[in-house]
Amino acid sequence: MAKNNYSKLLLLIAVLVIIFILSFVLGRYPVPPGQLLSVLAARVFSGIPQTWSPTVETVIFQVRLPRIMAAILVGAALSTAGAAYQGMFKNPLVSPDILGASAGAGFGAALGIYFSFSMFGVQLMAFVWGLVAVSLTYGISTRIRHDKMLALVLAGIMIGSLFTACISLIKYVADPYDKLPAITFWLMGSLASVSPKDIYMALIPILAGTIVLFLLRWRLNVMAMGEEEAQVLGLNTGLLKIAVIFCCTLMTAASVSISGMIGWVGLVIPHLARMIVGPNYQVLLPTSILLGGSYLLLVDDLARLMAAMEIPLGVLTALIGVPFFLYLLLNRRWGWN
Amino acid sequence: MKLELRNLSCGYGKRTIIDSISMTIKEGEVISLLGANGCGKTTLLKTILGLIESQGGQVLLDGEDIQKWSPAQVARVIGYIPQLHEPPFPFQVLDVVLMGRTAHIKPFSSPSKKDEAIARRSLERLNIAHLEKRIYTEISGGERQLVLIARALAQEPKILIMDEPTSSLDFGNQVKVLNHIQQLGNLDMAVLMSCHFPEHAFLYSNRVVMLNEGKILCSGVPTETITGDRLKTLYGVDVEIVTVRNCANNEIKVCIPSGHQMAGQYSVTADWAPEYAALA
Repeated sequence: MAKNNYSKLLLLIAVLVIIFILSFVLGRYPVPPGQLLSVLAARVFSGIPQTWSPTVETVIFQVRLPRIMAAILVGAALSTAGAAYQGMFKNPLVSPDILGASAGAGFGAALGIYFSFSMFGVQLMAFVWGLVAVSLTYGISTRIRHDKMLALVLAGIMIGSLFTACISLIKYVADPYDKLPAITFWLMGSLASVSPKDIYMALIPILAGTIVLFLLRWRLNVMAMGEEEAQVLGLNTGLLKIAVIFCCTLMTAASVSISGMIGWVGLVIPHLARMIVGPNYQVLLPTSILLGGSYLLLVDDLARLMAAMEIPLGVLTALIGVPFFLYLLLNRRWGWN
Repeated sequence: MKLELRNLSCGYGKRTIIDSISMTIKEGEVISLLGANGCGKTTLLKTILGLIESQGGQVLLDGEDIQKWSPAQVARVIGYIPQLHEPPFPFQVLDVVLMGRTAHIKPFSSPSKKDEAIARRSLERLNIAHLEKRIYTEISGGERQLVLIARALAQEPKILIMDEPTSSLDFGNQVKVLNHIQQLGNLDMAVLMSCHFPEHAFLYSNRVVMLNEGKILCSGVPTETITGDRLKTLYGVDVEIVTVRNCANNEIKVCIPSGHQMAGQYSVTADWAPEYAALA
């Protein structure tokens, strides 16, 4: 890894830390930075006198911390999954949402909410249906003999709308006073109601997926040259493909089940990362993690601060993501050909 | 080191394209595979590489059948140089060459300093060390083909397989790439390449295998094996083979399509080109 890439990574870490601290301070209930530091310090060192009201502590640890952690986790997970999917399929136009993984996971989660499953049950359903969706998309695309890149995107759009239709069906039959609002608000994408328990539930699959992808990051480079070439260079492409699809879908499903369907992050962030550090997954993957975490945290801050009423996160990521991606497309400042 | 194809049949699905052929490849040899479009050159090469399952027969490396080997095991012995292509992501040249080390790197690791040194050395061997930091998708076609050869060298294989390594290259780059390929034979490596031009076989290989309708028509030293009759069988056109002497006084064989006149010798007559006759 080039020295200059190390400094870029360090810079991105610094950016994430700054947004992290800022996110605690910003909000309707004022928490001055000095107070924040003493509250945080009191958690680590004993003997710091309590000069703040208990409400401040509740706001910091029960309201803002889970939400901040969730934003970082979901942003990092979706971006990492997007970057890995893109290399895996040798296709810079795919992402968890375009491949139908998000819609599949959304359908599974909606089904789980409809049947009043536990948090674990909802996640499991999201994962299983996400996997079904990606497998269908990939299976269909291999049977289309035309432009491979286009085939995958089209198959993903088909499967995505199929599962979106299924979600509508669940909403249609769901109890309008209880389940329907729950499903609807959750689908719009929101981190407002994330609890510390949700974080732990999502942390494990997301961390597991990230670690495996991180270990495989060199092989993703080789895979991006095309499957046949990767095999000739010595990769067991069948096994690698299963491992990567499994990890990416696991991370997507975990994100979807705590935050609903948040689009565009998984497509835009890998491209932004590629613009900054180039296509080498050894650097691209950590960059996507950091950039994705920072991005979604920032957008979530906007979502809760911009208007008197909270704006759904999924709406905001689309409003920001679409013009940005358009800008990349039109200016050809993308990291691909 | 010896690679032996024994009664190897290959094709896709139920369709057999190559029918029970046998041949041997030894280190130091540069073998050209000649044949018409669609005669199965690529299919044969892909079967040897394990990309397509064979329909019968064996691929033996020093007597051991490699068809059951893992991709990494095969890649440590056989390197492959594909036809020129453009990957969707703009990797750095050094990263592309480093990919040649994949078969030597453990599943969950990345290339080490040693791998980088090997990659740099193979760039130097092809005199393209200066391209190291360039973007692979932005260099010329000839340079890209040399990078792919460097990548195959970084793989440290015993056999190199190339599928029309000079297709889509201009004349100068064809010569440069083929000169490098010829030198690979001197590195105790065996080279098996499919090619489109009998002249390349004369100039750069020490053995030629002519494929026709899924069978080996003949094989041997190019100057003795490639004849006008056989080229007629392969390609369905009349070819004259002429021996010329170059300035170093070496005899070189050249193929000329028969009955062909110099373009300038056509006489323009009013019968067949009245509109140009006036100009003449």
